[in-house]
Amino acid sequence: MTERITLRIDLDSDVPAYRQIVNIIRILLVSGQLLPGAELPSVRRMATDLGVHFNTVAEAYRILADEGWLALRHGKGATVIERKVPEPTPERIEEFQRRLQALAAEMFAHGASPESIGPELWRAWIEFKS
Amino acid sequence: MKPEYALLIPLLIMGVFLQFTPLLTRRGIFFSATVDPAFPQSSDGRRLLGAYRLQAALWTIAAVGFALLLSSVNLAVMLLLSLLLLIMGSTFSYWLKFREVHEHFGKSARDVRYAELTPPPQQQTFSLSLCAPPFVWLAGVAFYLQSHWYQLPDRFPVHWGVDGQPNGWATRSFQGVYGPLLLAAFMDVFFLGLALAMLRLSRNTAMRHVTVTMTLLIMYPVSFAFGMVGLLPLTTFPMWLIPAVVLGFVAVLIIWAAVKVRSPAAPDVIPEPQSDSYWKAGMFYYNPDDPAIFVSKRVGIGYTMNFANRMSWFVLAGILLIALLPALLLKPK
Repeated sequence: MTERITLRIDLDSDVPAYRQIVNIIRILLVSGQLLPGAELPSVRRMATDLGVHFNTVAEAYRILADEGWLALRHGKGATVIERKVPEPTPERIEEFQRRLQALAAEMFAHGASPESIGPELWRAWIEFKS
Repeated sequence: MKPEYALLIPLLIMGVFLQFTPLLTRRGIFFSATVDPAFPQSSDGRRLLGAYRLQAALWTIAAVGFALLLSSVNLAVMLLLSLLLLIMGSTFSYWLKFREVHEHFGKSARDVRYAELTPPPQQQTFSLSLCAPPFVWLAGVAFYLQSHWYQLPDRFPVHWGVDGQPNGWATRSFQGVYGPLLLAAFMDVFFLGLALAMLRLSRNTAMRHVTVTMTLLIMYPVSFAFGMVGLLPLTTFPMWLIPAVVLGFVAVLIIWAAVKVRSPAAPDVIPEPQSDSYWKAGMFYYNPDDPAIFVSKRVGIGYTMNFANRMSWFVLAGILLIALLPALLLKPK
């Protein structure tokens, strides 16, 4: 990890802060911008920089650790670890289907067509796979 | 000069300072409210600044008049009450302007926050070459005094009144000779501790570098002044040299900080949170969710505290206690 990476969250967003942190760090992990061995700031440091409660950052780290991305060290922060892509369970597939349904309904409600986001979805997928 | 006239000087300095207060803040903040960076130069911005300056000038004149009225009662009471009048009056005027700017010209920015995911760059703010010289100077003065111990007079002045006449004396004893140096060393350690606390308990923004550097550089005039007072029994130099050097140094430091804070931020610096919602009256930061204890001020340069954090009150009490301790322990006889 050589280049500087800044995390940006929007507290006025409908998405909870911890979920935004998880989403951003997961994109960085999947795209290879954060590689195994990379050190993330401690919960205290990141919470202070973001101006959010310690529990917000701790919850985000815990979710990523449960997914197998991070090893947590008490009071020190988190380290990115090697992770094998797991076989998706039926429950997980079902959850993605529900989330996609919700996203499709939201897009429909806002008048956005599948074509308007399709290329972006494929671009991200190919980038993550590479 | 009569003592009561000399005591008007702090009032006048404060009055001049208040004229520039709204400008002593970072870009995009005007009267503590988040605005477009170009707003202060607009006609509305200039009008609001002019109106505040007129009110601050009137409060200064009122405070001076009040001080002259009270001068026959007690000089200390005179200074305290007139300063209080000036600060409270100008704070009220400032608050009115904050409300006007916030309600009519405020920028409704989203509450966006940033954090570095990568390790922070090598901390340049806290270097030994910046912290060591004041202590080296004090040690040098102590060594010089030790080597000239028997040339020191038995009794010498260590404190002066506003009229320039000595009003505190010390004898050739350990406390009398080294007292000013120990006091300066104590204050330097206090500033070092404060700078370290700021580094640990604040966000990594441009204001942190400026504030921590200012806190460390304050050790220089403090050590210089007390070192020179320590040397007084052995040397002769004009007394005005000490306040002149100290005030000159502080003025340069404030100008440097103002330029740094108002210049466009470097791209690798984390921006400050822009939301006004946590600022009570535009002056007091209150955010129970924010673990930061030191946060960038919106009035002036430097840090204020997050008053929603219980730890802030302990830190504040500690700072006050440490600041008062030397005055209580080393009061000149």
